[in-house]
Amino acid sequence: MRRGRGIHYALLGIVARNAQGVHGYALKRQCERILGHFWRLNFGEIYRVLDRLSEERLIEQIAAGEPSSRKIYRITEKGAKSLDSFILAPPADAPRPLRQELAVKLLFAGPDRLPEMLRLIDHQRAIYMQQLRLIGVQRRKIHRLPVDAFVTNLLIDGAELAVRAELTWLDEVTRRLRERLGDPAHS
Amino acid sequence: MIEFRDVSKTFGAGDSLVRAVDRLSFCCPPKSFWAIMGPSGSGKSTILHLIAGLTKPMSGRVFVEGIDVAAMSSKEAAVLRRRRIGYVLQTFNLLPFLTVEQNVGMPLVLDGIPHREVAHRVQEALDVVRMAHRARHQPAHLSGGEQQRVAIARALVIRPAIVLADEPTGNLDRAAGRAVMDLIQDVNERMGVTVLLVTHDPVFAAYAGRVLRVVDGKLAQDMPLPGS
Repeated sequence: MRRGRGIHYALLGIVARNAQGVHGYALKRQCERILGHFWRLNFGEIYRVLDRLSEERLIEQIAAGEPSSRKIYRITEKGAKSLDSFILAPPADAPRPLRQELAVKLLFAGPDRLPEMLRLIDHQRAIYMQQLRLIGVQRRKIHRLPVDAFVTNLLIDGAELAVRAELTWLDEVTRRLRERLGDPAHS
Repeated sequence: MIEFRDVSKTFGAGDSLVRAVDRLSFCCPPKSFWAIMGPSGSGKSTILHLIAGLTKPMSGRVFVEGIDVAAMSSKEAAVLRRRRIGYVLQTFNLLPFLTVEQNVGMPLVLDGIPHREVAHRVQEALDVVRMAHRARHQPAHLSGGEQQRVAIARALVIRPAIVLADEPTGNLDRAAGRAVMDLIQDVNERMGVTVLLVTHDPVFAAYAGRVLRVVDGKLAQDMPLPGS
């Protein structure tokens, strides 16, 4: 999943779920649980986004009180409004461009390079299969958690469908390249 | 251990000759979970038939637990299937006039196992697939996913070393397919049964620790899928 503004609102949304405020560590834990590891965040990234949200006055920092000196983050009225309009706005994600790197390689590789192209496709396929495996592991892990994972499951379905589409496309590219190569045999 | 040494199998002759398996070699260690993936007609099912001794190779050798299956008589191969290999098919192949428990117990009855032992092992197998509550039902009263779980219990009742699963999710919707695959994975992980799964579906192939992609009977790609 790509980042950008999405992560900004994801963190804002998680802060909003904690009416009493939330500290950075708990926020990271909640991110992992709610976003299902789709966004693997480290503390540095979380604090960078939180600083940005604070600067924009979408969240505020309050003291956690003694004995802890940790900062607690709470959503502001402006933050709640911003989150609302984000939720209601149509998604800004553009459809993915043609399979970027592989497409460019196919475009510029001459017919003499076709066997290498087929190997590249195999390599790509193995990566996607590995992704499917991790998605499956993730799905089963979430299934065992005692949380309502409605959205996470939808995200997992989406990720799985996307990888499936890439694999189908790779099979089609392989078939068409072989036709072009005039090689009925397979690797 | 399942080992293929330069195995070929053809069907037909002349212009209609089909190379279902073409000089295939691999060695699948005990307790593995491997998937064989490929388009329809790529020879996937023939590989399982060769392992189970349902068909013989034209050349090469197939070893199951160190024994050359191709050299076995059909009677010996039948004993191998009845005692060591559980088979799960796309069409569940349950006998419609028998109850769930009678279907599951059938391989043991055919093998002459005493009634008490059959009852005990049927219960054990139905517990594994979580179908004990349906023991007295007939297959027609079960959903597709439930029927496949019963078929898996029938494969497990012999306490097999190997389960061969040929498109076990082919007749199921996605959710039921996943439940069946979760179960097959459990069987491999908890019971240490070697599983060889044939599927054209990459999502289900990705349950396996290693995926062999077969195209026109040849090994097109060998993909290890390391851990979780």
